Amino acid sequence: MLLKIYLKEIKDCFRDRRTLLLTVLLPVIMMTGLTFFYEKMISDGEGESYKLAVNESFDRELAGIITSFKNIELVQSANPGKTLQDGKVQAALILDPNFSRTIENGEKATVTIIGDSFSQKSSNLKNIVQNALGVYEKSIISKRMQAKGTDPSIVEPIIIEQKEISDQNPNANLIAMLIPLILAIAIGVGSSPAASDLFAGEKEKKTMEALLMTPVKRSTLLFSKWLTIATVGSVTGIITLLVVALEINLLTENLKKAVSFGDNAAVIIALAVLVAIVYAMFTASLLMLTSILGKTVKESQSYSTPVMMLAMFPTMILSSIGINELSFQHFAIPIMNLFSLLKELVFGIIDYEHIVITIASNLVCMILLFIVGRILFLKDKWVMN
Amino acid sequence: MIEIHEVTKKFQDKKNFVTALKHVSFSVKEGQVVGLLGENGAGKTTLLRTVATLLTPTEGTVTVAGYDTIKNGNEVKKRIGVLFGGETGLYDRLTARENLEYFAALYGLSKHETKVRIDDLSRMFGMRDYLNRKVGGFSKGMRQKVAIARTLIHNPEIILFDEPTTGLDITSSNVFRQLVHQLKRDGKTIIFSSHIMEEVSLLCDSVAMMHKGELVYHGNLESLYKSEGSRDLNYIFMSKLVRGNEHYAS
Repeated sequence: MLLKIYLKEIKDCFRDRRTLLLTVLLPVIMMTGLTFFYEKMISDGEGESYKLAVNESFDRELAGIITSFKNIELVQSANPGKTLQDGKVQAALILDPNFSRTIENGEKATVTIIGDSFSQKSSNLKNIVQNALGVYEKSIISKRMQAKGTDPSIVEPIIIEQKEISDQNPNANLIAMLIPLILAIAIGVGSSPAASDLFAGEKEKKTMEALLMTPVKRSTLLFSKWLTIATVGSVTGIITLLVVALEINLLTENLKKAVSFGDNAAVIIALAVLVAIVYAMFTASLLMLTSILGKTVKESQSYSTPVMMLAMFPTMILSSIGINELSFQHFAIPIMNLFSLLKELVFGIIDYEHIVITIASNLVCMILLFIVGRILFLKDKWVMN
Repeated sequence: MIEIHEVTKKFQDKKNFVTALKHVSFSVKEGQVVGLLGENGAGKTTLLRTVATLLTPTEGTVTVAGYDTIKNGNEVKKRIGVLFGGETGLYDRLTARENLEYFAALYGLSKHETKVRIDDLSRMFGMRDYLNRKVGGFSKGMRQKVAIARTLIHNPEIILFDEPTTGLDITSSNVFRQLVHQLKRDGKTIIFSSHIMEEVSLLCDSVAMMHKGELVYHGNLESLYKSEGSRDLNYIFMSKLVRGNEHYAS
């Protein structure tokens, strides 16, 4: 009986254009947009070409250093600041009128860099120019010290070496936040119409009464409807993961470098799918309750929206926590554990203890939510308008 | 066939209790067609829902075909078919056939039984042309026919209709009336609520009149006509209501 009801509910759900749109199209669109956005965000500007406005009488040595970067074109201008404001260049470099002579005389010269911090391209160019100026400054210091018979290494008494605890690409952290967030939103948004339709919608259309008059146990009805919501959520989750995996692999360079699972790729992908299914089941339990509580689809949706917003908080909490700082509570709290576990997986870590804690805590919460749902579903007040 | 004994139903509305049924008692014999009359809010739908096992009585008992609606709800459900008027309770994205097949499965009918029942019912209601079309695009009359077919899919002994002709055009209403005659000939026990007195006097053997949750009359239609000295059911119903209101005022 459960299978018959489940199959009918699935057929009914996937004939709904909203469900199809939110289950299949939404993850594709969301993931494509965000993948390209993050790819661009973490790109170091390689391959980009920039235009830098400089004075008409620009220092030759400095010009040589800057133009050694093949992607920078110098645009000589009587007023570099104005050229930047006109949008013809991405940054402007203004030197003192007697810059070269001042340097030759061993005096201090002023260099002004004007850029736009709100523009990624301008920020990239400013960084390149600052680095070039740093190189130029060091060469001047070296020349001046040698001229006075001093070893230039005297001004560098300490050599600082910075090392990371793992050799993981730093951009992996960005993906570790991006994937769970999108997954959580996609699963919530994807399964929400089905959830609203299966309880509140049936009450509104009075099909619930027709169902309750059949000799089928209410628990069977409840379970098959929950299973339908969980299936829709799982399908959305799997499609989301599939889209992100394919797009990162086929369409990006920087994100692809950031995630390389090596020999564990198949296990990590399988575990990510498992986590998505567990999360879809947990979300289905929550959405089932909001739908039982709602008398109409609209009312049910106004209850489910704040529930879906819960997925935002773990991103904020976990963004500043390192992978080695994750502890028991991060894997024991539902929703939070989706983010924690996927963060580990993105970093290529497979910790079976954490996986068991995550599944067990979600299972306990699901059972509790299911018990509450069953109590409500057995009461006339919550099943009939 | 149906025994309603001292049934009271109270609903909690925030902190107050609203009494929808007050000590209602009457019985319906096998093969009888009973018309349930009353104004809006008189308790007709609550009574039908209680008989259909959808609501649990606060006090009293309801027995259907010898089974208590609380203790043996599933046995009652197997023997009863219910249609609430104006609310067809069909799945719009499924075809008429899929709707009927789904409910047949829920009532435990085999594939063969389902096919035979759907063939019979679609012939009876002239639904063959649109049996494989999605219900979402149906007119009200077409939907009502499918809903009645769904109510009868498991060939129930007892049928409850709650204002079944609400919103139907003359043709569809006539189809429904013919159906009730047919079901009566087949020996089915029927209770239906209606606002249309002409319909009740045409189809029913007896009537149960309700007013503010109480049963003000139950009995044979002919006896009622004799005792009231009129065959105008509309007039009799109104005079019963007036007497009921006077009773409450006193």
